[in-house]
Parts: sequence; C-alpha cells; structure tokens
Amino acid sequence: MASVRIDGDDLVVEIEGMDRLWSLKSRLVIPLANVRGATADPGIAAEPKGLRAPGTSLPGVITAGTFHQDGERVFWNIRDGSRAVVIELADEHYARLVVEVVDPAATVALIEKAVLR
Amino acid sequence: MGRPRGFDEEVVTAAAAELFAGRAYDGVSVDDLVQQLGVHRNSLYKTFGSKRGLYLAALRWHLDHRLPPLTEQLAAGAEVADDPALDLLLLAAVERAPRDVEVAALVTKAWQELDQALQRAPANHTDGTRSTALNALLGERLRARATAATTDPS
Repeated sequence: MASVRIDGDDLVVEIEGMDRLWSLKSRLVIPLANVRGATADPGIAAEPKGLRAPGTSLPGVITAGTFHQDGERVFWNIRDGSRAVVIELADEHYARLVVEVVDPAATVALIEKAVLR
Repeated sequence: MGRPRGFDEEVVTAAAAELFAGRAYDGVSVDDLVQQLGVHRNSLYKTFGSKRGLYLAALRWHLDHRLPPLTEQLAAGAEVADDPALDLLLLAAVERAPRDVEVAALVTKAWQELDQALQRAPANHTDGTRSTALNALLGERLRARATAATTDPS
C-alpha cells in the first residue's frame, strides 16, 4: 500500500510497511510540474508488466519495483490491484507509477486538483 | 514519447466522446476504454495522461466537431431535441463540471454557442430572457432520453 500526498510543489508517494522492502524503494518525490494526471484503474493489474529489474514479482501476491516495457520504466507497487491508481509522469525517471492506495477516488481527486493549479 | 503512437488520435478521441455520452464518467472504466477504443493501456496513458485527460480531449473534440452542425441546425430553426449530440454536454454539466473547472469552462462555452444559435433562429418563440430557449431545449432533451430508456426493451 502507498500513501500519496502533496507537499508544496511536490507529489510524495510513500510505500508503507513491508511493501517498501519488496519494491526496494520507500519514497518517491515528483515535482507536480512533471505529473500529467492520475487514474483509478483496477484493471491494470491484469496487464503484462514487462521485465522486472529490480524488484519483486510473486504473481497473485505482489508486484513491486521497477519494470521495463516498450522502452518505458514503470514503478509498480500493488497487491491485488483492486485499488490501483496510475500516475502518469513526464520527464521523470519513471514514465508512470502504479500504486495501490486506500481510497483511489480521493487520491485521484487530490492529484487532479494539485495538477490543475 | 518519440515512438509513433500506432493509432489515430482523433478517431480514438471521437470514439471516446461517444462512449462518455452514453454513460456516467465513473461508469466508464479504463478496461472499457481499452476494449472499446482498441488502444493499448500504456498508449492511452502516454497520449492522454489520464482518464480525465482523454475525457477533456473528447469534450473539446465534441465542441469542435459536433457542436457546430448542431448550432447551424438550431439557427435554421430545426428541432434538435432528439439529437444525442446534446448528451455529452448534459452529462458533463451534471457530473463533471461541478468538480472540474476545465470541464465547467467548456460546458459554459457550449451553452453560449447554443444560446447564440437559438437567438438567430427564425422562429424564436421565446418571450423571456435569451437562455429560456436553451433551458427548454436541454429539458426537452433530458425528457427525450428518459423516454427512450423506458420504451427501449434493451
């Protein structure tokens, strides 16, 4: 599970609990200027994730870490994916982040509002 | 972003406008978009940034391509209450505009254009303020949609 918040001009994504171990990353800080948008997307869990490096993938249990697909680098941290949110980035290390949050609709609203300013 | 997109952005945007005109924004999942628009999920995100990004593109496309023929018909005095071209705007006004200033601005722009078209209509049977005709038209369209739902067995 991840917590997503806005801190000044940054989007801060914090990976909580044991999940940070599996994704080998506990915190991502992205300038809001490089955030293109956010979408609640439970269906993305069923998509092929590409090549994992580095990170953890236990199909059906957890997908966490950096995955490479179609020349893009995507950060994943989801379990069943039912509460997955996709955060699309520009000019960042990652093309997008796919993280599981407690309240996808609230997270999407938070990011959209911050990006709109 | 240097890679070719492999799909026609305008065709996809137009199809999305149709999809969003048929049901609520939250009722259209990314799975629906991927399946019905025939575009890969990653390409959708790369091109439009988010579901909202695609929605805004679809609404803008609607204003650019669907609204002008409608306003022309209105200005010529035609009846358009059975035209589904109003549906995307009605849905946008009800569910997205109150929470999204960009949607609100686009809907306002559409109302203005419809207002002006109604003003130019020959059989301008309104005696009140100029938006009365538009209010009547939107109300008629809402009722026509509800009627279609009750008579259509599907």
